[in-house]
Amino acid sequence: MAIQQPFKHGADFEYLRKVLMREVSEGPVPIIELAVDGDPMSEVTGLPTPFSSLLDMMDFVESDGSINQDSLRKGIQINDLSLAFARAVGYDYVTVIPAILIPRTKANISREVPGQVKQRSWQNEHAGLIPDRAAFEAFPWPQTSGLGIVSIDYIVPQIPEGARIMVFYMGIFEDLRALMGFEQMAIKSIREPGLIGDILEKLTVIAETELDKIAAHPAVGAVFYADDMGFNTGTMLSPAFFKEWVIPRQKRIADIVHKHGKPFLLHACGQVDALMEDLIEVVGIDGYHSFEDNIEPVEEFYRRYHDRISVLGGVDVNLLTHGSREEVRARCRQILDACGPGGGFAMGSGNSITNYCKIENYYAMLDETRRWNQEQGF
Amino acid sequence: MEALKEKIIAGDEAGTAEIVQNLLDDRVEVEVIMKQGLITAMDEVGDRFQSGRIYLPEMLVAAQAMKSGLAVLEPLIKGSGVKPIGTAVIGTMRGDLHDIGKNLVIMSLEGAGFEVVDLGMDVPPEKFVDAITTHQPRVVGMSALLSTTMPGMEQTIQAIETAGLRDGVKIMVGGAPVNQDFADRIGADFYGKDSVAAKVFAVQSLQG
Repeated sequence: MAIQQPFKHGADFEYLRKVLMREVSEGPVPIIELAVDGDPMSEVTGLPTPFSSLLDMMDFVESDGSINQDSLRKGIQINDLSLAFARAVGYDYVTVIPAILIPRTKANISREVPGQVKQRSWQNEHAGLIPDRAAFEAFPWPQTSGLGIVSIDYIVPQIPEGARIMVFYMGIFEDLRALMGFEQMAIKSIREPGLIGDILEKLTVIAETELDKIAAHPAVGAVFYADDMGFNTGTMLSPAFFKEWVIPRQKRIADIVHKHGKPFLLHACGQVDALMEDLIEVVGIDGYHSFEDNIEPVEEFYRRYHDRISVLGGVDVNLLTHGSREEVRARCRQILDACGPGGGFAMGSGNSITNYCKIENYYAMLDETRRWNQEQGF
Repeated sequence: MEALKEKIIAGDEAGTAEIVQNLLDDRVEVEVIMKQGLITAMDEVGDRFQSGRIYLPEMLVAAQAMKSGLAVLEPLIKGSGVKPIGTAVIGTMRGDLHDIGKNLVIMSLEGAGFEVVDLGMDVPPEKFVDAITTHQPRVVGMSALLSTTMPGMEQTIQAIETAGLRDGVKIMVGGAPVNQDFADRIGADFYGKDSVAAKVFAVQSLQG
């Protein structure tokens, strides 16, 4: 079902930036997403997609760190789709995922179940490419001097007037898990923390180098840095581990983005309350994204933190997947009433628009936000 | 026995195996080593995890240590008359390739003395039914990380009911998108927010 009516006409990234930086408290609630899978983008625009879900891009890079012709073609196709999607819905930005030449492992699942999983890839939780020090030394790390911003250069001439690029950047703890497999990484964090530190340092230097170029680009509006650190009830590893090994490095990465005057937005799934003060005060995040009602409804988070950082998204993906349009509208209304009037809030899903969300629920979320804005006189 | 507990809690595999062997050499009974050493240590690990004093990695290395101790005992367990306290069948729902949560529950159940039949990931309802028929467990555990695989829990419970096996088992469910409301709605007996809660429920299930 293609989109019938965009959220709004015309892009205004400058207004979105002010919301993200809490520089305005009056005005319409804008919309934002960390990511949208290929399938829903395809459904909205009517264009084909090379990937059912963004996670299918995990094998974008060959095991030796190279990119083949097929991946290049798919990369161009996904950029074109992202651009068309942003135009069709009326986002103030176009999402770009810069090519990062780090091989990953994935576990696939593919099953045709109407309204459910079509095809999706997941990070392999057990086996990684770096099981030990020898594998770390032999790993085909990308040469930082060779890193480019090809995707951004490709899309810049085509972005809508008033829009900017939102860079989706995969975080160092995400990459650490991808390279080692979660279980192996967790065990090594106790048995061989030095190896963990060395991998994180390598990833941090790559991120600093790449983001220094990316954030300097005038067409780049903000960086959405995705680094899941928690599960339902707490952090994946101890808060002490994060404070020693991860937070200082995330700060270095955020500093690079801030050096260029761009907002640094954090997407971090799970219950990360134990880290929130460090994320705000040490890393210096400007906005926070990822909400599940099971963990903490966005309204409660907004009440606690909206005077320090912006609050992004919040409609539970579970509701977007299983709920009715009416339920989605009612929940959006609750969220907007609680988070809209104070500013520093952008509406969207709690995680991403996945290929198993109902597209009509996505449209209901957009439409309810538009209606709410109209009712407020915007 | 106190030293054995400390080695397990510290995740010291070699140290755990060595102490278990020493205890056997001193003619300490297998059942005593199991109950007062391995199970007590894993109970303590579970308590520390639930109260936020340790995290997943500490649990994983403790489980590794416990298994190294168990490996020393295993050849002797059959002849010792030590029986598992109960049987549990557990798996991740069809369409779901995530099993860290399920594996933590298995670890806790084994640490408590259960025999666990692990059906693995991506498990269809009929496989649960077959396993219940074959192994006759008291406890069935289902795990889902994804919104899309949660409905598989309801389908599995229905399949168990249709097969006439529902009255003989206690069904517990868990995983990131699962909550008490959902568990109530699909007719599960228990929603566990973590592996320790699952273990406590499983042990209680043996009593009635």
